[in-house]
Amino acid sequence: MALNREPSMALNVSGLSKQYPGVRALNDVSFTVEPGTVLAVVGENGAGKSTLMKSIAGAERASAGQIEVFGTSLIAGNPRSASDAGVAMIYQELTIVPELSAQENVYLGHVPSLFGIVRKQQLRRNYTAVAERVGSEIRADTRAGGLSTANQQLLEIMRAIAHGRRLVIMDEPTASLGPEDIERLHNVIRDLRAKGCSVLYVSHDLDAVLDVSDEVMVLREGTVVARATSAEWTKKALVTAMLGHAPATAPTGGNRTNMEPTVVRLDNVSAPGVEMKSLAIRSGEVVGIAGLVGSGRTRLLRAIAGAEPVLTGSMQLDGKEVRWPASPALAWSAGIALAPEDRKHQGLVLDRAASWNIALGGFQLARRGGRITAGLLKRWADPIARRVAFAPNRLSALAGTLSGGNQQKLLLGRLFSRPLRLMLLDEPTRGMDIGAKSEVFAAMRSSAAEGRAVLWSSSEIQEVLDHSDRVIVCRAGKVVAELPRGATVHDVLAQSFGTTELATATASSHASSSLHIQENQQ
Amino acid sequence: MSTLTTTPQPLAAAFAPPLRRALSEYGVVLALIVLVIIVAVLQPAFLSAGNVSNVLAQWAPVGIMGIGMTYVVLTGGFDLSMAATYALAAVVAATLGQTMSPLAAFLGAIVVAGLVGLLNGLIVTFLRVNPFIATLGSSLIITGVALLLTGNRPIQVVFEPFTVLGRGSLAGIPLSALLMIVLFILGGLILAFTSYGHNIYAVGGNREAARLSGIRADWVVASAYLVAGICAGVAGTITASRLSSAQAGLSGQLVFDVLTVVIVGGTTLAGGKGSMWRTAVGVAILATLQNGFNLLDIDAYYQNIIKGVIIIAALTSVDWSRFSRPRKASSSKSTQSSISTDTL
Repeated sequence: MALNREPSMALNVSGLSKQYPGVRALNDVSFTVEPGTVLAVVGENGAGKSTLMKSIAGAERASAGQIEVFGTSLIAGNPRSASDAGVAMIYQELTIVPELSAQENVYLGHVPSLFGIVRKQQLRRNYTAVAERVGSEIRADTRAGGLSTANQQLLEIMRAIAHGRRLVIMDEPTASLGPEDIERLHNVIRDLRAKGCSVLYVSHDLDAVLDVSDEVMVLREGTVVARATSAEWTKKALVTAMLGHAPATAPTGGNRTNMEPTVVRLDNVSAPGVEMKSLAIRSGEVVGIAGLVGSGRTRLLRAIAGAEPVLTGSMQLDGKEVRWPASPALAWSAGIALAPEDRKHQGLVLDRAASWNIALGGFQLARRGGRITAGLLKRWADPIARRVAFAPNRLSALAGTLSGGNQQKLLLGRLFSRPLRLMLLDEPTRGMDIGAKSEVFAAMRSSAAEGRAVLWSSSEIQEVLDHSDRVIVCRAGKVVAELPRGATVHDVLAQSFGTTELATATASSHASSSLHIQENQQ
Repeated sequence: MSTLTTTPQPLAAAFAPPLRRALSEYGVVLALIVLVIIVAVLQPAFLSAGNVSNVLAQWAPVGIMGIGMTYVVLTGGFDLSMAATYALAAVVAATLGQTMSPLAAFLGAIVVAGLVGLLNGLIVTFLRVNPFIATLGSSLIITGVALLLTGNRPIQVVFEPFTVLGRGSLAGIPLSALLMIVLFILGGLILAFTSYGHNIYAVGGNREAARLSGIRADWVVASAYLVAGICAGVAGTITASRLSSAQAGLSGQLVFDVLTVVIVGGTTLAGGKGSMWRTAVGVAILATLQNGFNLLDIDAYYQNIIKGVIIIAALTSVDWSRFSRPRKASSSKSTQSSISTDTL
C-alpha cells in the first residue's frame, strides 16, 4: 500500500473548525470519503452543513483544520485550489447560461478552439463522450434555457465530469425535482460512483438520502454526531440523531381563549405550489407556518397577499365573504398586507430614507396641508418607529445603510401604520440577532393584541413554535397539518418529512435549546 | 454570510465629504451658472430681455416634453415616441383648426396625444413590452397615422387667433414660455409633494417593493406615459400655433433633445432618482449652449458634437465618485467573485 502512492481517500477532512462572530459553525469536524462512494450529510438548519460544504469547495475559509482531496492538501478559502484538486460544487441555484447550447454550457469557458475559432467537431465529440459517461440524452445543440431543471442540473454534473472533477458536492439537489427526476438523478449518481467518483450529498429530503447514499453522516451544532451505512439508518433514527433528543416547546406569550371572533377564514386555497383546505385565524391570534426550505411557505403567504394569482380560494374577513384579492393593492385595501421575505429586493427602496420607506404605499397618510415633505414624513413616522423599536433619530438614514433588523422594522412599521386586519410576515427574523428578534416578536404580539390576526413564517422551527398560538405545517406546497400550542419540533419535522409515526413516538419531551442556532441561509 | 458583504456602496456615500456630496447633487446648477457667465461675458446681448424671451419661446416645446419625459424616466422607463406624438398633435390641431375654434382644436390635439400616451403606457405595463421597443414601435405607428392623415402635405391655418398660443405674449413674456414655466412648476409640485409623485419615485426605485406595499404599480407607470403624451400634445399644439401650420414629418431629432435635457439635469435612466428642477436646469443648459453658439457664430455642426459630448459626460459624472474612491475593497471583491466562477 505504501508503495502505491495512489491516495486511498477521495476526501480527508481533519479537525475542521469555523468560527463566526458569536457562533461556532463547525467544531473539530473530521471524516473521510472513499473513492467511489456517496456520503450524505444531513442536519437541521444551521447545523453547519453549508459551512462544511463551502469550506471544502473553498468558498469559505475554515478557522482551523485540514482538507485533503485525493491526497492534495487544499489551501483554505481558495476555490481554485479545491477545483484543481477535483472538487466540483453544484449549488441549489444552478449556473446554467440559458441562451447557450447544452454543449457550450458543459464546456463554458473551456470551449476547444484554434486561434480563437471554436472547433465545433471537437466540441461535439467531447460533449458526446461526457454525455455517454453519465447516460445523458440531452442533444448537444439544445438551448439550455429550454431544458427542465433536472436536465439543467444534469448539465452541471456533466460540466464537473468534463473538467475531470472526481469529488462532486451537491447541495439540496432534489429541492426542485419531481419523483421521476429524482430517480434519474440518483441513477446518474450511481453511475458516477461506479466510475470512481465520490459524491457528497447534502439534503433535507431523507427519503432521497436513504435511497442514494452508501453512508449517512449527521451534523448537529457543527459537530459530527453520527455516521453509519444507509442500511443501518431509518428516517426516524435520522431525525432523532439530527435533533439529539426530542425537544419541547417553551410556551410563552398570551393564553388565547377561543372566544375571540374570527378575523379571517380561508377555504380551498389552491395556486401553483400552494394547497390549503381551510384556515381560520381569530382576533389576537398568532399563527405560524413551519416547513422546510422550499415547502411553499412563501408562496402561501404571497397568495393570500394577492401577490400571486390563485386558482381557487374563498376568503371571509370579519365574517363577511370577500373577493380573493387579485393584487397586493386590493389586499391592502381589504386590510391584508405582507412584509416580504426578501427585504432588499421586495420590501424597500434602498436609496430612500427610512421614514419614506415606512410610508411607501401610503404616502397620503403623511400628507399635511396638501403636501408631503421629508420633514412631514419624519414627524409622521416617529410614533410608528417607536412602536416597532426603531430608533427615531435614524428615520432620515437611507434604508440601504440600515442593518437587516432595522430594515425589517421598517416593514413592520409600514404594516402598523395602516388599518390592517391580517398581517402576513414572511421570515421576519431572517438574519437577525436575538435582540432584534425579540423586538420583532414583541411587535408581532402587540399587533395581535390590538385585535389583528397574524400569520407568519420562519425556517427556524423552534422559533415558530415558541411564538405562535398554533402552527400549520407545509410540505411540498401543501398545508399538511395544523398543530396546537405545545407541539414539538419533532412533531413539525415528522409532518415536514411525512413520517407521521414519529409524532406519537416522541410524545415524551425534554426541554432543549439546541435548535436556537442562527440559521445560515444558503 | 451573504449579509456581510452586501452594502459597502451606500455606506461609503454616507461618509462622503459634504462638499463632494453637494457638488454631485448641485453640480449641474454650478455648470449652468458658469455657462451663463461665459456666454454673457463673450456676448452681453445674451442676457437682453428680447433674447431671453426668444430663447424661452423657442425651447418651450422641448421643455414641456421634458416634463413628461421626466415622469417616464423616473418610473424607470423611456418614451421614444414623444416626438411622433408631438407631430401628430400638431397635425391634429391644424386640421381641427380649419373648422373649429382654436381652443377646441388645441384641446382636441392634447386629448389625442394623451390617448396615444396612455396606449403606450398600457403596452409597456400590461403587455410587458420593453419601453424602448414599445415606444420605438408606437413611434412608427403614430408617424404613419399622421402621414396618412395629411398625405405628408403641410396643413395651413389661416385664422389669426390660432397663432395666439405660439406667438402671443403677456407683459412682454411669450405665452408659450409662460406655459412652459407654469407646467414646470405644476409638474414639479406634483412630483415632490403629492402621494402620486412619491408613487412615481417608488415604482422607479423598486417596482416589486412598490407593488407589494399596495401601490398600483402598473397604473402608476402607465400614467407616466399618459403625462408624457399630454405634454407632447401641448408642445405640438404650441408649434402648430407658432407656425400656423403643421406637417407630419415635423419632429426630426427632437426626442433626443428631450431626452438630453432630462439626462443632463441628472435624472437617472435607471429610474427612481431625479427631479423636475433638474430637467428645468437641463433645458436651461441646452438652451444657453445653443443660443450661445448662435450668438458667437459657431458652426451648427459643432453644436451636435458638443451636445453628444455633454450627454456622455453627464452620464459618466454620476459614477466618478466610485472610481475616485480608494481601492481598499478591491481585494475582497476579487476573492468574492472568484468564488462564484471558479468553484465549478
